[in-house]
Amino acid sequence: MGIVVEKRLTPSTSWQVASIILALLASGLVSALLLKSAGADLGTAFGALWDGAFGGWRASWKTLVKATPLILTGVAVAVAFRARIWNIGAEGQLFMGAIMSYWVYTLVGTLPPIILIPILFIAGFVGGGLYGGLAGWLKARFQVSEILTTVMLNYVATYFLSFLLIGPWRNPDSFFQQSPPIDRAARLPNLIGGTKLHLGFLVAILAVAVIYVLISRTSLGYEIRAMGMNAKAARFKGINVERTAVIVMLISGGVAGLAGVTEVFGVQGKLKPDISVGFGFTGIIIAVLALLNPIAIIFVAILFGGFVNGGIKLQVATGVPSTLTDAIQAIILLFFLTAAVLARYKFRLGTKDE
Amino acid sequence: MQPLLKVENVTKRFHQVVANDSVSFEVMPGEIHCLLGENGAGKSTIAECIYGFYKPDKGSISVNGEVLDLDSPAEAIRHGIGMVHQHFVLVTSMTVLENIVIGTDAATAILNLQSATDRIKAICARYEVEIDLNSKVWQLTVGQQQWVEILKALFLGARLLIMDEPTAVLTPQESRRLFKIFREMTGDGMSIILISHKLDEVMQSDRVTVLRKGKRVGTVVTRDSSKSELTNLMVGRDVNLNLVRERSDVGLPMLVVSGLHAANDFGTDKLNGVDLTLNRGEIVGIAGVAGNGQKELFETLMGVRRATSGRVMLADQDITNKTPREVQQAGIGHVPDDRFAEGLIPDFDIQSNLVLGVHRDQPFARRGFLKFGQIRSFAKQAMDEFAIQAPSAQTICRTLSGGNAQKVIVAREFAQASRVILANQPSRGLDVGVIEYMHKRLFEKRKEGFAILIASEELDELLALSDRILVLFKGQIVGEFSHGAVDLERVGLLMAGHFDDAPNPNADRSL
Ligand SMILES: Nc1ncnc2c1ncn2[C@@H]1O[C@H](COP(=O)(O)OP(=O)(O)OP(=O)(O)O)[C@@H](O)[C@H]1O
Ligand SMILES: [Mg+2]
Repeated sequence: MGIVVEKRLTPSTSWQVASIILALLASGLVSALLLKSAGADLGTAFGALWDGAFGGWRASWKTLVKATPLILTGVAVAVAFRARIWNIGAEGQLFMGAIMSYWVYTLVGTLPPIILIPILFIAGFVGGGLYGGLAGWLKARFQVSEILTTVMLNYVATYFLSFLLIGPWRNPDSFFQQSPPIDRAARLPNLIGGTKLHLGFLVAILAVAVIYVLISRTSLGYEIRAMGMNAKAARFKGINVERTAVIVMLISGGVAGLAGVTEVFGVQGKLKPDISVGFGFTGIIIAVLALLNPIAIIFVAILFGGFVNGGIKLQVATGVPSTLTDAIQAIILLFFLTAAVLARYKFRLGTKDE
Repeated sequence: MQPLLKVENVTKRFHQVVANDSVSFEVMPGEIHCLLGENGAGKSTIAECIYGFYKPDKGSISVNGEVLDLDSPAEAIRHGIGMVHQHFVLVTSMTVLENIVIGTDAATAILNLQSATDRIKAICARYEVEIDLNSKVWQLTVGQQQWVEILKALFLGARLLIMDEPTAVLTPQESRRLFKIFREMTGDGMSIILISHKLDEVMQSDRVTVLRKGKRVGTVVTRDSSKSELTNLMVGRDVNLNLVRERSDVGLPMLVVSGLHAANDFGTDKLNGVDLTLNRGEIVGIAGVAGNGQKELFETLMGVRRATSGRVMLADQDITNKTPREVQQAGIGHVPDDRFAEGLIPDFDIQSNLVLGVHRDQPFARRGFLKFGQIRSFAKQAMDEFAIQAPSAQTICRTLSGGNAQKVIVAREFAQASRVILANQPSRGLDVGVIEYMHKRLFEKRKEGFAILIASEELDELLALSDRILVLFKGQIVGEFSHGAVDLERVGLLMAGHFDDAPNPNADRSL
């Protein structure tokens, strides 16, 4: 006797919603306990969290800025996961997108913005895409697991960026490892006056729309889904699974590369080693939580962005250590991930029959 | 005598589909009780209700007069109910023993494991089953895997064994043996619920309950009934599986295979120089025990498996080792034998599965975009033609009954092929009405000048369909018979590898 776990044939919407609510309650409860134990007043703590995330106009657009790279990496990961290609390398692809676009900027940075900025995004897409495509090609050609290659390529990208910032691209006037500041004209324009919500947010939404249409309406998207659900039958029916894998990784890496552009040219205004603080990895979590649905990714990413900003406010307001907000974030993640997985199974008491 | 199992007014719904509509029947101790019905009639569903996998919406199920409150297979197992599913659920990387004891108490204690082994060995001895408990399941033949499933049920103390289409995957010899053992089991007082589309097998049962569109239309004593009466009850009309064969003008060679060699996934040679010719307007049947290279032959022709040597010519085009897409575009359709693993994307809906392979082509796509209107109307038409039973074209294939899933594949391949149809066990799991329809369509295709190659373990089916029958043994064609000159005895001997005179199988061609 024990608890029997079975995969559901068809997902149940009500159970999915229920599990999300359950996760919310559970994570709220555990976070409350943690905050309490750190001596924080719960009312102040949760109030600050909300204020920092969505409390007012300023907090809201800041949250959208934070969400921008997460939307992009989330969608990048989702495309690959739909094809059952485990791209763990959005982080490295983001860095390569940043490097490539910065390089192009050093070459043609004086072009008028209306031409330059699209070129920067294209460069970012190409940089990340080729980097992802490399892992895709290794998988297709030599059957090397993409999990291994993408993880290792993350390191290569990080150290390559370090090398560039120590060597050729270093700003000689700065104490830090970073490039000289990027011209005002080459930075991403803000969408709304008085905010720092930059063009990158629009690009991210656009990327979601394109990927959504690609996956659900095109022949290529059909092949991506088919391959992800039953690669053998897909191959039997003439789908070139190897080629599709390479294409998927080109697209996935490319979209992740766009996040590099938004961070360098929209947020930081220079190339730095910390243009991403694990956005590529958070993207994986976001994609899985959103059940690989591009539209849902927008909302999950915004929630995440809100949590990051709210967490900062919470620290300031209650004086709890920043590690505590990290811990709370991790707890929320765990509960939501569990809920997302659980929603696809059914449970009952008994012995396993199969 | 009190019935062992009593099913009363069981109703089971899946959303808008009523899979079982107030179904009642009884199974006596020592009885083989057959469930018969068209594809999608609700046989598997009622079986899963008895096994506690599904919970009926209404009605009751009782064993030995005790009404069961089944909410899991564990509950059913406790009441002595065991089931072997239509699609096996074994862990292929584990051993036979591990598969049998997994999830039971015996798995946890080493002491118990020894007594478990003894008990399993005793069961094997009782029914004269030879199986190495320590071999891994993937090394076993399908027939042996089925034995693992049965042993598992018996080990758990089953008194009532539910077998869902057990012989669909067995060779005729294995099926005969299975039935012999069924009789020994019933002799020991066990009961068996058998689901089968093969009327020869159904006729060996004690009683038959016929389902139609989820409702029970009758229970008959097999001895007092006949195949035609059962068919009539089941589909509501007569079915003739020996359609009148019109003469067809056999034309020029369409597909010529010479000296084809290929290996299976483990590198073992499975095709050892196959030579065969398919002519326009001809149906050629391949007789042979499963595992003699049928699968590899079809896969190599389709470009899914590499030919290590030899040549495949389609008309005057060399298609040896072309990609699957090129082969399909050249006009060859293929019905693989493992429908859920190779023929379908189970999580896709029906309409998407029906255009698998032509999802890049006109009229289903233009400039890289899918044309859903076209796809839907094509799907509606195909579903009508092949009587695919589902609420809509957007039904996910995973939820289809086994036979309806097979129909999706057949419908798709018949629509996509323009010159050659290759079908491996195409009628597996189909009800007689649908088989009849498929045969009709095959004859039409033959008349249109298609070249058709069919492998089947049902010799009757091959006899009814084929203009020529080839016998495949150990990856070689060891005999050839033209329609009307088939010597069944010799076919059987050749299938078993007995070549009377010539040691060289290729010299043993009788035309
Ligand atoms: N999990 C499910 N979800 C939705 N519909 C289902 C599900 N399982 C079965 N059905 C539907 O219930 C009906 C009966 O299916 P069932 O599998 O019992 O048929 P069957 O008699 O076993 O047919 P076959 O001979 O083809 O195996 C079918 O219309 C099928 O599509
Ligand atoms: Mg069935």
